Amino acid sequence: MIRVRGLHKSYRSGDGSSQRVLRGVDLDIARGEFLSVVGRSGSGKTTLLNIIGGLDSDYEGAVEVEGKRLHEMTDLEASAYRNNHVGFVFQSFHLFDYMSCLENVMLPSLFDRKGGAAADARARALDLLDQVGIAEKASQPPMNLSGGQKQRVAIARALFNRPSMMICDEPTGNLDRRSGDAILELFRALNQEDRITLLIVTHDPLIADAATRCVRIEDGQVREDSGASVRASDEDGGADGGVDAGEGAFEAEERA
Amino acid sequence: MRAGGLRTLIVGDLRRNAQHFILASIGIVVGIAAFTFFLALGSGVRNVVLGEIFPLDKLEVVPRTTDIDLGPLRVGMGKDTLDDQVAKSLGALPHVSGVFPKMKLTAPSTAVGGESLLGNDMRTELIADGIDPALVQDDVASGYAFKHFDDGVAELKACESDEGCDGKMEYCGLRPRWRADGSELTPAERQQRVCRHYVPVMASNHLVEIYNGTIRRAHNLPKLNPEFVVGLRFDLRVGESMVDASKKDKIIVERGRLVGFSARAIPLGLTLPLGYVGQYNVFYGSPEAASTYHSIIVDIDSKDNVAAVAKSVEDMGFDVADSGAEQAALLITIFMMVFGFVSVVIVGIAAVNIMHVFFMLIYQRQREIGIMRAVGATRANIRALILGEAALVGLVAGCFGVVLAFIAGALFDTVSARYIPDFPYKPETYFSFDPPLLLGAFAFAIGFCVLGAALPARRAARMDPALVLTGH
Ligand SMILES: Nc1ncnc2c1ncn2[C@@H]1O[C@H](COP(=O)(O)OP(=O)(O)O)[C@@H](O)[C@H]1O
Ligand SMILES: [Mg+2]
Repeated sequence: MIRVRGLHKSYRSGDGSSQRVLRGVDLDIARGEFLSVVGRSGSGKTTLLNIIGGLDSDYEGAVEVEGKRLHEMTDLEASAYRNNHVGFVFQSFHLFDYMSCLENVMLPSLFDRKGGAAADARARALDLLDQVGIAEKASQPPMNLSGGQKQRVAIARALFNRPSMMICDEPTGNLDRRSGDAILELFRALNQEDRITLLIVTHDPLIADAATRCVRIEDGQVREDSGASVRASDEDGGADGGVDAGEGAFEAEERA
Repeated sequence: MRAGGLRTLIVGDLRRNAQHFILASIGIVVGIAAFTFFLALGSGVRNVVLGEIFPLDKLEVVPRTTDIDLGPLRVGMGKDTLDDQVAKSLGALPHVSGVFPKMKLTAPSTAVGGESLLGNDMRTELIADGIDPALVQDDVASGYAFKHFDDGVAELKACESDEGCDGKMEYCGLRPRWRADGSELTPAERQQRVCRHYVPVMASNHLVEIYNGTIRRAHNLPKLNPEFVVGLRFDLRVGESMVDASKKDKIIVERGRLVGFSARAIPLGLTLPLGYVGQYNVFYGSPEAASTYHSIIVDIDSKDNVAAVAKSVEDMGFDVADSGAEQAALLITIFMMVFGFVSVVIVGIAAVNIMHVFFMLIYQRQREIGIMRAVGATRANIRALILGEAALVGLVAGCFGVVLAFIAGALFDTVSARYIPDFPYKPETYFSFDPPLLLGAFAFAIGFCVLGAALPARRAARMDPALVLTGH
């Protein structure tokens, strides 16, 4: 389904020097896989996922989705790809605080060029909120919700247009253990029941364990980690990892 | 993107950032208000000046007096007489819808009367023109007539008083002293009282305006309403002058009656049917005077064709009298351009302000923009969102600006009505808020807001979603 070949990506910093983050990544992802991506903080995991998700087109190499090169897509095609085929879930949720949860979930419908009735979009969003277990919060703004609840809203939003793939960047990074486990259960169900391909960057060993496949990014390249049981967080000695874990602890479930 | 979706986002964003937008659009509101106010003022004043003071859809053709065009091919020789032949050829010009000859009364004359209105008889040197009665028929007050009655001598009905005569245009008076052929009546004949026609006279609104605006206040006389002045009777003494020594034995005394007001009457003086003036001019001059005109009024089908007709008239060897309309129009145009320009500058500065606010807002909202891109917004969607917000800000600011201009205009008119003394042609309102002007004001407000937001919208559209979402 996804084919990455010879992917190079470097960032130019302000002083003109450039930092090579991905140096020849090769990766194949099959439909329905539950792939966890691990690696040290700053190793380029987010960069790789953004490229695969069509958010970043500034790279060298080839990324094909269903045989179509992302690079060659127009802005319109890439946007349609993100809208219809990809669902993004972020560590910091990225919800709109001035909208209700329901409106947040409906957001992708605003940019859906296939168009659909607003009423259908509402029904679909309510359905999804129900599916992720927070239907009762539909009319509230997300700021009244706990971290776990916010992430459920974000997942519902990602699912809105029935994507074939979800790209999740440390989805439990800001959550406490219990919420994280619940979110993991949700992912497992989505993968097993709805056959949604999952690409999850994580420091969470439980998620890495739950995945059907685990890859590690190291020195700008992908190293296959067939043994999914390797403890991802142990590898992540960096300061970022510590902060990620610390932030999660602040979020208390059912704060609302 | 669904149109409804765009609307939802725009309205939501505007509501959230209302304070910023209100501050940013004050300049637009003020600029649009100034724009609307001054342009409405300009076109209101233009309507009064060009519509009432100097109507623009007619020309006055006069003989060419001096010919300064000494080009080698055109040793111009202007014709110096306007007669029926000339009137006919003027009437044949394209775009000319009517031709009305005009004749000055060349004999000195005075008018005496006005007691009924002013409390005292006034005597004034009279300037009079004769015009084709057809020119002013529409302006004759009901019950009156404006034509050359051509009173004969023999067939006039004898009477004792005005009651014995017919209608508003007759009075009981003495026979005219001379017959049409110039021979004098016998004293016995001149003692008979007969029903005679008033000499009908039209006046220009200018006269009333100038009287009400200036003379009246200088002499502390009552204000006149044109409606009540109609019907005024006075003595017309042709051949008599207050300044020249008059040949007392050759004075024609007639009764005149004001039968209406017309924009086509001469501005300062009285306007008589052409026949009377021709008759008087012949009496005091030569027989040709009856068919020699001093000017010919040419009606033109539309204002747009005035220049073309003027050109043809000049090609025929005549001049077009300068009515002052062109200078007035030019002055008003300059006024409108100056204030229009000032308004444009105000709105332009406001647009820069709008630009700053949008730059700040898209910086604040870059995460949101990134999220929208992640869920499927194209660059064009983001641009449309920002420009849509700007357009809505412009529309709202335009509304407030126009309303402000209305209020300022109403205030101005009220102050003028209450506190500014009358002056000639003082209008009830100085403003003409025409639909095209209002449309222009809205387009202007929206256009400049959108223009101000163009660069920020471009930056927002080009924002790298991966960058803003990861927070690097
Ligand atoms: N937009 C950017 N501009 C400059 N440097 C960046 C940018 N995004 C990421 N980087 C750098 O690239 C490296 C990889 O970043 P990232 O992909 O976020 O790593 P990870 O997700 O594995 O922690 C880091 O060193 C980071 O500082
Ligand atoms: Mg990352």
